[in-house]
Amino acid sequence: MKKYNYINIGLLLITFLVSSCVEDLPTKYDFTGYQFSNLDANAGQWKLVLHTSNEQIPLSTPAASGSPELLKELADAKELQSKATSAQREAVAYWTNNPLIRWNEIALELATKYNLIPAPNPDGSYPVPDPANPSNYPKFPYSHPPYTSRMLAHLSVAQYDGLIMAWHYKYKFKRQPPYQLDPQIKSAYETNGLFSYPSDGAVIATASRDVLTAMFPLEKEFLAQKAQEHLESLVVAGINVSSDVEAGKLIGAAVAKTALTRASTDGMKNAQTTRAKSDSIKNAAKERFGWVWENQETPQRMVGLVPLFGKVRLWNVPNVEAVRPGPPPAPGSPAFEASAKALKQYATNLTTNQRRIANFWNDGLNTYTPPGHWNRFAKEEVVANKLSPVRTARVFAYLNMAVADAGIACWDAKYYYHYPRPIQTIPGFKTILGTPNFPAYTSGHAAFSGAAAEVMAHFFPSNASQFRTWAEEAAMSRIYGGIHYQFDADAGLDQGRKSAAYSVARAKQDGVD
Amino acid sequence: MKVNKIFLGLLVASLGFVRLSIAQTPLDGLMMPKGEICLAIVYENTTWDRYWEGSTIRVNQNIGTFTRQMGMPMIVGGITNKINVILSLPYVKTAASAGQLTGVQGIQDLGLSVKALLVEKSIGKGKLTGFSNLSLSTPASNYLSDYMPFSLGFGANELGIRAIGKYELDKGPYIRASYSYLHRGVTEAERDFYYADQAYYTAKMDVPNAFLGQVTLGSWMFKKKLRVEASLTTIKSTSGDDIRVYSMPQPTNKVDFDRVEGFAQYYFNSNGRGFGLIASYQKAISGRNMGQFSGYGLGITYQFKAF
Repeated sequence: MKKYNYINIGLLLITFLVSSCVEDLPTKYDFTGYQFSNLDANAGQWKLVLHTSNEQIPLSTPAASGSPELLKELADAKELQSKATSAQREAVAYWTNNPLIRWNEIALELATKYNLIPAPNPDGSYPVPDPANPSNYPKFPYSHPPYTSRMLAHLSVAQYDGLIMAWHYKYKFKRQPPYQLDPQIKSAYETNGLFSYPSDGAVIATASRDVLTAMFPLEKEFLAQKAQEHLESLVVAGINVSSDVEAGKLIGAAVAKTALTRASTDGMKNAQTTRAKSDSIKNAAKERFGWVWENQETPQRMVGLVPLFGKVRLWNVPNVEAVRPGPPPAPGSPAFEASAKALKQYATNLTTNQRRIANFWNDGLNTYTPPGHWNRFAKEEVVANKLSPVRTARVFAYLNMAVADAGIACWDAKYYYHYPRPIQTIPGFKTILGTPNFPAYTSGHAAFSGAAAEVMAHFFPSNASQFRTWAEEAAMSRIYGGIHYQFDADAGLDQGRKSAAYSVARAKQDGVD
Repeated sequence: MKVNKIFLGLLVASLGFVRLSIAQTPLDGLMMPKGEICLAIVYENTTWDRYWEGSTIRVNQNIGTFTRQMGMPMIVGGITNKINVILSLPYVKTAASAGQLTGVQGIQDLGLSVKALLVEKSIGKGKLTGFSNLSLSTPASNYLSDYMPFSLGFGANELGIRAIGKYELDKGPYIRASYSYLHRGVTEAERDFYYADQAYYTAKMDVPNAFLGQVTLGSWMFKKKLRVEASLTTIKSTSGDDIRVYSMPQPTNKVDFDRVEGFAQYYFNSNGRGFGLIASYQKAISGRNMGQFSGYGLGITYQFKAF
């Protein structure tokens, strides 16, 4: 009998642990939409980024209230809403009334999914993703930080221009939302009276789908399915009728096309160079400075990551030279030795908090990268401040232009100075973070974060010091991790801030504040 | 059976998958009588130079040969003639022979295990015994689990429950089989975003639960002074993701493997008291998301009557 009890106690314990320890870990930002703090009625007059006129994409005048066409659409919407399946209702809850948040999240997830470095071939060479054959190994794209920053900039700018146009037409045509036109239609979200033609959600769904499909071609079907679900949810939610959605799709497709035209000619396709080109860049640095960065992996990667990303077209910085820092201290110089000594001290005496900082900001392979990390902060800030969709788009557009510019400028410095990493210059040096496949000076983390923090500080001044502290922490994290010198971090932060100043200056003139 | 029974812990030089030595310890079919205490120190050294990325074997020259060493003090005590308690606290050290990533060392997990003799029956020219075992282990230092393959352990609590059956001939040979369920909690990373088949916005990582099965053939020799065994062990995680192509492993991975091992234990006294020596060899023969490890273990035991 006693033995039997032990078994019982064991089984009870198991049952307890199984039931209490299984928890749902969050796979997305937990929010369900909110009442916008401001509808931004004049957003149609805000300055566009890639377009010249808020009527550049013509929309026809929508059917008037009381017209048979609109009454039919309202009846259809009512029918759809009343017969909504549980999956459709879940979609309504998922997309929320600020769906840009979700599309940004999808973009970050895809950036993570594709952020894998190519493995060596059996002969010791390394393959390169081929955009013409994206499914061949290594799959296209390799969504490293420069790629991700550029992807996010094009996505966010398309979304922003699209919503400015949508807002313009909303307040031009002033079509009331379905839940106001027909009391039997209920809004799934907090009602705000925002005019419904064209659907801002449809602009976002279509523009995001199209930009992301170009950036992640293997995700075409996944993105189409997401967009379809989103578009359908707009009517089910009671905030749009089908002609609102169709008009929004027109704008979304057009702004995506403009953004993708820009992307197709921005120089990214030449950023990953041949070995010969890479060698000539390396030799130029050697002649200029006397040092050169070499990849330390086995087998050695003979070409660094996107050596010509520094030549990619900038958004707001006039040219990379405008924000290029002076040269780093030469290896062996007193300033270098002081920095190397500090690195060795961190390596042997790293505190728990320093280790935490290094890992928290690592944002390396198989993550959303530093640009993604800052987009996540922006998302949380947007929701905390209950920004309208168009103001949300503005935050992401300026953030991601500044971050992309900082990345381009940083990459220019990296390959201009071609400065070796600590594992190359310090004999026997070991690190807790993997050393990336590109030169040290300036620090990409520092540049991306310095830029992001300045844009965030501009849009959310009450938290400015928090953002700047984070940027400094992100920059320091690479020193704790053993993969950057202090001067990489300092110059990177400065370069990022200076790069962002151009985007912030532009934002100040966009007619919003 | 008046013999001691430290079963050599089988720390696996896995990609950070490490609770096995403790999980294994309670797996033998022995029971110390009331008042007997056995102290043990076990050293293990396992290495691999290839690992399974998902189920595909990968050689990574930036790791070279990966070595995991473990020193584990243990105490086993007979609470009653039918209940034994096992305590263990391993110290682990990891290093790679190539590449730039630094190895780590430190105290891993505190393990507590209770084993009960439930069935004891003479059948033919031998005896059938049945045991149940309940084990708990918990990280005993703030080591970082999300630093695989170097991390000391998977950084989560584990509850194990086992059933063990053994049939032993009076002449010495025996066969033993066991089946275990290992329930693991979550571990805490130092980043709050990661990818495991999809994006996760949390620092918590779910460490997969696992089933472990083992079949052993063994025998007593030289008037019960020597015990030798050969075992086949299989472990299967019930969930988890695969290591992504040329990417780092992480605690969420689905870790499976099959392992063969040989084990010998020598007692200087045939009553089990006093000193004893243990030696073992193990080798992974198939796996998923872990190193293709092999290695040896050595240990010294001392048993005495305490009360």
